[in-house]
Order: sequence, then structure tokens, then C-alpha cells
Amino acid sequence: MKLKNWIYSAALGAALGMGTGFESQAQEKFFRAIGTPHEPKVEVSWNRYYTYEGLVDIMQKIAKAHPDLAKLESIGKSFEGREIYLLTISDMKNGDASRKPAMYIDGNIHSNEIQGSEFSLYTAWYLTEMHKDLDFIKELLADKTFYIVPTINPDARNNFMKEPNTPHSPRSGMIVLDNDGDGEAGEDGFDDLNNDGHITMMIRKSPTGRYIKDPMDPRKLKMVEIDEKGEYEMLGYEGYDRDGDGQVNEDGIGYYDPNRDWGWKWQPDYIQRGAYKYPFSLPENRAVMEFVMKHPNIAGAQSYHNYGGMILRGPGAEEDLDTYNREDVRIYDAIGKKGEEMIPGYRYLVVYKDLYSVFGGELDWFYGGRGIYTYTNELMTSYLYFHKNAGRGNQDEEMDVDKYLTFGDAFVNWEEYDHPQFGTIEVGGFKKNFGRAHPGFLLEQDAHRNMAFTIYHAYQTPKLSVSDVKERDLGGGVKEITATIFNERIMPTHSSQDLKYNIERPDYVTISGASVITGMIVEDEDFNKVKEQKHNPERIAMKNIPGMNATKVRWIVTGNGNYSIKVDSAKGGLAEWKK
Amino acid sequence: MRKNYLSVLSGLGIALLLPFTALSQTDYPNLAQIGQRLQSVARDNAATLTSLTKTEGGKDIWVLKIGRGDMDNKPGVAVVGGVEGYHLLSVELALQFAEKLVAERSEALENTTFYVFPNMSPDAYEQYFSGLKFERRGNAAKVDHDRDGSMGEDTYEDLNKDGLITMMRVESPMGDHIPSSTDERVMVKANVSKGERGRYLMYTEGIDNDKDGNFNEDPAEGIAFNKNLTYKFPAFEPLAGDYPVSQKESRAMVDYLFDRWNIFAFITFGPANNLSSPLKYHAGDAKKRVVTSILEKDMAINAMISELYNETITAKAHQQKDQGTDGDFFQWAYFHFARLSFSTPGWWVPEMKNEEGKVIEDASENFLAYAQQEAMESVFVPWTKVDHPDFKGQNVEVGGIKPFLMNNPSYNKVGQLADEHTDFILKLAEMQPKLEFHNMISEKLGNGLTRITADLFNNSPLPTHSEMGAQSRWLRKIRVDINSEKKDIIAGDKIMLIDKMGPFEKQTISWIVKGSGNVEVKAGAAHVGFANLNVRL
Repeated sequence: MKLKNWIYSAALGAALGMGTGFESQAQEKFFRAIGTPHEPKVEVSWNRYYTYEGLVDIMQKIAKAHPDLAKLESIGKSFEGREIYLLTISDMKNGDASRKPAMYIDGNIHSNEIQGSEFSLYTAWYLTEMHKDLDFIKELLADKTFYIVPTINPDARNNFMKEPNTPHSPRSGMIVLDNDGDGEAGEDGFDDLNNDGHITMMIRKSPTGRYIKDPMDPRKLKMVEIDEKGEYEMLGYEGYDRDGDGQVNEDGIGYYDPNRDWGWKWQPDYIQRGAYKYPFSLPENRAVMEFVMKHPNIAGAQSYHNYGGMILRGPGAEEDLDTYNREDVRIYDAIGKKGEEMIPGYRYLVVYKDLYSVFGGELDWFYGGRGIYTYTNELMTSYLYFHKNAGRGNQDEEMDVDKYLTFGDAFVNWEEYDHPQFGTIEVGGFKKNFGRAHPGFLLEQDAHRNMAFTIYHAYQTPKLSVSDVKERDLGGGVKEITATIFNERIMPTHSSQDLKYNIERPDYVTISGASVITGMIVEDEDFNKVKEQKHNPERIAMKNIPGMNATKVRWIVTGNGNYSIKVDSAKGGLAEWKK
Repeated sequence: MRKNYLSVLSGLGIALLLPFTALSQTDYPNLAQIGQRLQSVARDNAATLTSLTKTEGGKDIWVLKIGRGDMDNKPGVAVVGGVEGYHLLSVELALQFAEKLVAERSEALENTTFYVFPNMSPDAYEQYFSGLKFERRGNAAKVDHDRDGSMGEDTYEDLNKDGLITMMRVESPMGDHIPSSTDERVMVKANVSKGERGRYLMYTEGIDNDKDGNFNEDPAEGIAFNKNLTYKFPAFEPLAGDYPVSQKESRAMVDYLFDRWNIFAFITFGPANNLSSPLKYHAGDAKKRVVTSILEKDMAINAMISELYNETITAKAHQQKDQGTDGDFFQWAYFHFARLSFSTPGWWVPEMKNEEGKVIEDASENFLAYAQQEAMESVFVPWTKVDHPDFKGQNVEVGGIKPFLMNNPSYNKVGQLADEHTDFILKLAEMQPKLEFHNMISEKLGNGLTRITADLFNNSPLPTHSEMGAQSRWLRKIRVDINSEKKDIIAGDKIMLIDKMGPFEKQTISWIVKGSGNVEVKAGAAHVGFANLNVRL
């Protein structure tokens, strides 16, 4: 009923017409598709990728078009001095965004894993553009805050897009290290021999080669049988020996891994390849860490990577297994399994046993170090091509994709090139923006589904209310006030990891307007089991308010005035009751 | 004031000045005096003084770089003091090392570059010079040590107004302590299994300000430098903080060190001791992915250096059981920075015997016996009754050994300790890895071709890379460069990398080169120095 009315009035408003321009044209030319903002104030094409400058442009437009819903700020500078921009999305007219339970989302920590930026930004765009249309989103942004950082590796994002790279490089940021231990940093990286912006493969005709070009499909190199003679040898990625040490491409940009730099059980490079100097020694991660430390309202977090179609939770390292206990895993499972339903082709997995066992990951610090329920999604799965599970990097399937779906756009055909050290070679292979990155036509759908998963996650951050207040006269001008504090979502105000180390302060339930003799937490109301708080009893400190559960506090007071009860939780937000 | 005095004296000649300054110092120097002494070391051409950062408390973190010539490409030794703020001696030892090095031992600068970090905990160090003395570890950051949501809300109180934080004993049938039978002043745990009954509850001196039942659990101090580094970082423990290397001084120092490729060894003056006896190798812990035991070959190095230490230092080890604590600096330098790392407190209370000639087991009683032998005055605050708001009507007394005394000797002992430790550090420096070329042969093969053969030799009892060092990306490999054009090198490598060379190990290298004139070969890495070879074709 309400919905109908609304649609009517919106149509009426449009017909009465701010008159000219885009809105009226929209009525002429477009018909609403369910699930997508129909007349977005900010027009964005979600079937292409954006450079850092492109991302910032969209972020600025969103902030400008929706001043009551979006705020743009820089949380710090990258190594090369770019601002790392964050959008705060919340109903700014309805409560203080920094006191609402919040969902943190970032993308692109690995610079070559680009689409996390578009997915994050799609979320900001969708929430702001749909706010006026959907009651659900209205309520969501009244209750919650989203902190969205589309790229936390802006320097190397641009390097990936603008400079010659493989699908896997740079991965790190733009700090150049000495990878071969020769005292020089970055002296022998890739060389784009054919100047096409992609680092593809080098092959050479050789009587001792073990490969042939597949006669059915000459793009493919096939290994010959053990008793057969081959025609080609593989020489690796495009490049030559720049420093004369007899090796090719042994010291390029990096190498370090920004996702081995986080401060929970961090380990150095000789134990955990890719670690830098110490936790948060990379400026981009430090900016995120400092933001998170200043925003204790963050209760859930999402980091976007690629690829493989995974919804991952920690532990990252097998040695950290004890950190994840049963209560928290139950909550992870509930949200993660819902995610599997929402995103076809994605599986809910655990990093250390299903992917690899690594230290210093972002999700480990968010959970281990801050007690925040955090997932990493490995975006893009080959399932999206033909709804088959051919697996990561299946060459035959990828060749079919490029034949039947992308019509040759993904592959650089073999061409001869004169190499300074190898002589006549051929250069060719898949482009850097194929394989890990979604082709354009698959991008928007997967962005929407992943966003829907993060909205579900955000929705399940705690929601507190003072649901019931009872009074009982104890005689002699003394009465007992018992208040029920209800958390109507899955997540507790403190994860069990948080409780183990007292990471976040307790939740406070404060009574004002009454003269308090003492206060207590009611552990069992039926049998009157209570735990008294002698010091400062007006403000009861509760270690936790569990999810989908109620907790009771009680005061013994004198006086008959009106009083109020306030709940103040770092991750659970604020709630108030007044008599 | 002092200037006037000096000008009066100036007619008497410079000779008088030295005894004057020596006499004027009867106690450990305060931060201003340390600053002056550092400035005066830095007046030497070989020394440069730099402030790496200012702490939360606004204090400088100093480093002295001392050396000559191509300092960044000579093996370096780092000397670190003040990893614990209560360890005054450590600052003095580092400082005197620098002073003696430039004034008396500068020949060591020919081959080695020294980095002296005199005081990593200046905020905490200052507590010794304040009106309220206690053995402080934390800097000036605001920290919620007990993680209850309030910062520093339960710190110490000087209940007996003597300017010291000592202990507090509360007479109670529920107590678990009794006065020691051998020295009544000292409180020991009642041995319940022997039928003893406790009579006192023991606390540090103070009030339970936040009424949570704990005393002084959230002191008004910040993060301890020696608990803030990455190796076994004790997350969320008091004085450690939420994540490692969180403090300005720890970051500034570590950042500085990561740019110093030439440092091959660290000497830390701090509570841990792997010099009186070496770290022990545990195969199980050394072979796990997360390594928590010194590696086998490195233990042998530690044992050799330990022997050198014990030969050089006269004091006999006593109760030196601390071989590292979680998040500390000395272990970081080995386990995470992959350099040779040695630590010593520099001094300890020597072993004392009682009247029957038996060793005194209890550390406090041992100290009191030592103080008596040394005729040290007023080392103990006698148990004195105080009114305590948390124990109304109960017998509460404050007393105990005064802070700082058990970790820092009387200042008049420092001179000898500094001499001996300076000797030790310089002997260690002399052992540094040293690359040399030997047995060079240049053979004419005819038609403009020459075969060059030479032995590269590590003339040192230390390897160029410890077992740990060989695994780390933060030490460079030995690089051998020949300056012939690539096209003129018929055989052999233009650039060759050697992972490591053992003690007194040689490696034979050869090239066949075309042409005439001079060929130069250079071999080395910053932390082992460089050897050069000139060949006339």
C-alpha cells in the first residue's frame, strides 16, 4: 500500500516536472528495472574500470549529489602522495554517523585486483541513489554507517592500468625493494617488448623445445608427449636482462605484499614472504589502521580481492586457529553461508585451510586485533562464464571465452620480435585485464550481489533498544527499576575475541533522574541472581550484549521523578528510554 | 655559574678541568646532562648526533653515528641503552662507550662504523629525577593498561610521603606472605606445603582508585619500548599496547635501522643476558615455521662471543636467567632483523653468602647482604604504618628496598663497568667479517685472452651471514662485480651473488676476459665491507 502510494507520488512529482532535462527524458525513454536506481543523480557505467582519478571523480560526485547521505574525506596519503579517499554513507540527518554500528568496506589492497574498487563504489552509489526509493535502505542508513574506501592502493592501481603489467603485477604498492639482494632496487623489471601495455609471454622456436602450437588453435601452447619432439621453448614474461646478471625480470616493482603487513601475529619476511618492515609500515595500511582505531563503531568489515569466487574468513594462519572460537564461528557461518546463496559460484571458505596459511592479513587484524567480524571476497569466478566449474586459470575454457564471448578481445596473438639476448622470439598471450578481472558484461551483476552480501552483514551488526522497564516498590520510599536491553541482530556488541582481550570498552547503561542506592546486572531474573556494581552504580558497565538476546540491568533507587535510561555501546550504538 | 668558576680556574690550566667534571658527577646524569655529553661527543669530527624523533613526552631520541670514510659500507655495530627506563646504568654505559671511543679508542673507526642509541626510554628514565621515584617502563602516551575503558585511572600513591614507591603490606589472616626467617625486613611467600601460614597481603604502594579490587593496575604511564617490538609481541598486555611498533620512538628507531644495511651486530644494555651464557638451541622451536629458538649455527656464534664476554668482564654471573621477554628489543634484533644480537644488564648484584657460608637464595636478601658489605646507606624503607582508605582499621605498612638500587649500581662503580664493556664491544668489532682477495693469478691464454683466478676469503671467525641472516631479505648478499664489458667476458659472471661465507671460508672465482688494460674486481656487501682486486691484463 505504502509502496504504491509512493510510486504514485514520485511519478506525479516527475510529471509535474522539474520540467525539463534528464528526469523528463527518463520518463520518455526509460522503463524502470527492478533492483537498480532508476534516475540516479550520479550516472555511472558499471561495465568498465576506473583509474584512481576516475574513482575520485565518482566519489566527489556522490558526495556532492547526496550531501545528507555521503561525506568524502581523505584518511591519509599513499607512498606516492595520493589521497586515500573514504566515503561515509549514512543518514546524516538521523543520528551521528560516528555513533552508529558501522560496516567498513575496502578494495584493491592488491593493486592488480582491481574490481574491488568498483564493487565498493557501487555500494556507495546504490545506497545513496536508492535511499529515497526503498524503506529498507532508509532504515538501514538511519541505523548504520558505511565507511567505504574503494582503493587502499591507489599508486599501484594506476600503475597496473597505465603501465605494462601482467594480470598478477604489481600486486604490491609502488615502494621498490631489492628483491635479489644485489644492493640495487628494481633494476630489472618487465619490458613491454611489443609496446601494447600488456606483459605477455615470450616463446622461441627451438629444436629442444618441449611445446608445440596446438594445430586446432594456434593461440595455445601444448606440451608434447615425452617421446615426441617439440617446436617451441617458453622464456617467461616479456623482458630482457637489464643489469647483466644473467637473469630476466628478477627485480621489478615491489616485492612486498600489502596483505602481509597487518598487526595481528605479524611475522617477518623470512617466515611470511611479502611482509614489509613491521605492521603498518606501509603508509596505505597505516592510514586504514588509524581510521579504524579512531572509529570503534566499526562492527563489520569487508575487503575485496580477486579471484576465485570465495567468501573467506580467518584465520589466515594455521598457527592462529585458537583465535577463532566457536561462538564467533557460528556468527561467521551464518552470514557467510547466506552469502553463498546470494552470490552464485562463490563458496564460503576459511583462509588457512582452503587457500593458504599466511600471517599478517588484513582480515586477521580486523578480527584478531579489533574484534571485528570480517570477510575477504575473492571476486570473479570462472563459473560466471559458462556456469561450469572449470577452476582458476583453465586455459581451454579461457580460450573458449575469448572465442565465443569476447571475440578475441582478451588475447594478444603471437608475433615475432627481435630480442637483444634471445634473438628471434614470439610474444603473445592473455592480456592483463583478462582472467582475474571481470569482463565488462559480468561486472555489474557481481558487484550488486557482493554488495547485497555486505548489506546483509551490515544489517546484522548489533541493534540495541531498551525494550522494557519495570518498577517494583520495595517500601520505605525505595523502588527497584529493572530495564531490559535488547539486541535484535545476530552480532553481539563484543565478539568473543573482543571479550577475550577486552579490546573495546564495556557497554554502559546509565540511569539519570533517579537517586541510585546501588545497581546490578540481573543474571537470572527468575531466581534473582544478580551481580552488584558498587562503584559508580548509575552507570552499569556490561561486558557484552549478545546477539538476538536480552540483558537486564537493575537499580535500587529513591525518589519519584521521571528518569531516563541510556545505552551507550561502542559497536552497538546508542539507545534511550524515557519515563 | 659553572662558566664563571671555569674562568677563574682557567689560569690554572686545562689539567684541572678533567678531575673537576669527574668529581661533579656523583649520580646518574639527567636528560639535560646526557644531552650535553652527547653534544660534546659530537664535537669530534668522527661523530654525528641526530635526533630521530621526539617522544610523546617531547624528549629527543638520539643516535650518534661514529666512523670515518665510507661509513655506510663498513661493517657497523649498534650499541643501545635505555631499552628499559629504570635501567639508568644502560644509558651511562652506552654514553661512556661513545665518549671513550672518540677520545681514546678511535683507531677502531678505521674498519668499523658505530651507532650509539643512548636512551630509548627518556620519558620513563626521567622518573628517577622526579619527586616521585619508581621503576618506570612506560613512555608518556596515555594508555588504558587494564582495558576497562578509562585511561591511567589507578596509578601509584606515595602513602608515606618519602618520594618513593615501594611495597605495601596489609596484616590479614587471608594473606599469603610472611617475613623471611633469615631477614625479617624481606617478605616471602608462605610455604603452605610446609605448614606455614601467611599473615600479610602484599601490594605495590597505592590506593585502589577505581575500586575494582586491584591496586595500581592502570598506572599513569604509557608504552614500554622493550615490550613494543614485533617478536612475540604481547598484544593487549599492560605496557605493550594494541599493536607492535606503535610508538614514535620504536618506529623512528626501527625505520632508521632498516636503512642501515651495514650493521652486523647489536649490543643492547638491558635486562636480558645472552652474554654471561648463550641462548640455548631447541630443535623443535627452531624448525617450526614461526622460529622461536636461536638457530643451531648461530648458537655456536653466541657461545663464542659469550666466552669473549666472560674473559673481558670481571664480575661473575649471578642469577642471570632473563634471556629475553616478549616484544623486547634484543630478541627483535636477531629474530626479526636477523643481525647478531647480544644483550647484558652490564651489572648485577653479586652472589653473597650468609654467615654459615651458604649462598643466599632470595634476591632481596642477597641484595641487602651486598648493601651491608658495601656499606651502602639507607637502602631499605623500614615498614611504617600508614592510614589506608581501602583498609580502614587494618594494620597497613609501607616499606621495602628502595627502587632502582637492585638494577643500578652505585655511580662510583660505573667507571670500571664502562671500561670493561667498551673493551668487550671493541673486541667484538675486531672480529667482524672481513673479505680479502688472495692468490690472484693472471694467465695469458694468447690472442688477447686472460684467465683471472682469485680466492675470496672471509678472514674472520664470524660468518658473513649468520644462519638467520642468510634467510633475511634485510641483509644483502655478497656481490662480486668485474668491471669488464659484458661482451669481453668470455667465461665467468659480470655480476655474481654469494649467499654467505663461513668463518675463514674461501671461494675461488675465475673469469676469462678479452682485451688489455686494467680490470677491477670488487666484492662485498655493506655489512661485511668490500675487497678490491686490480688486475693488469
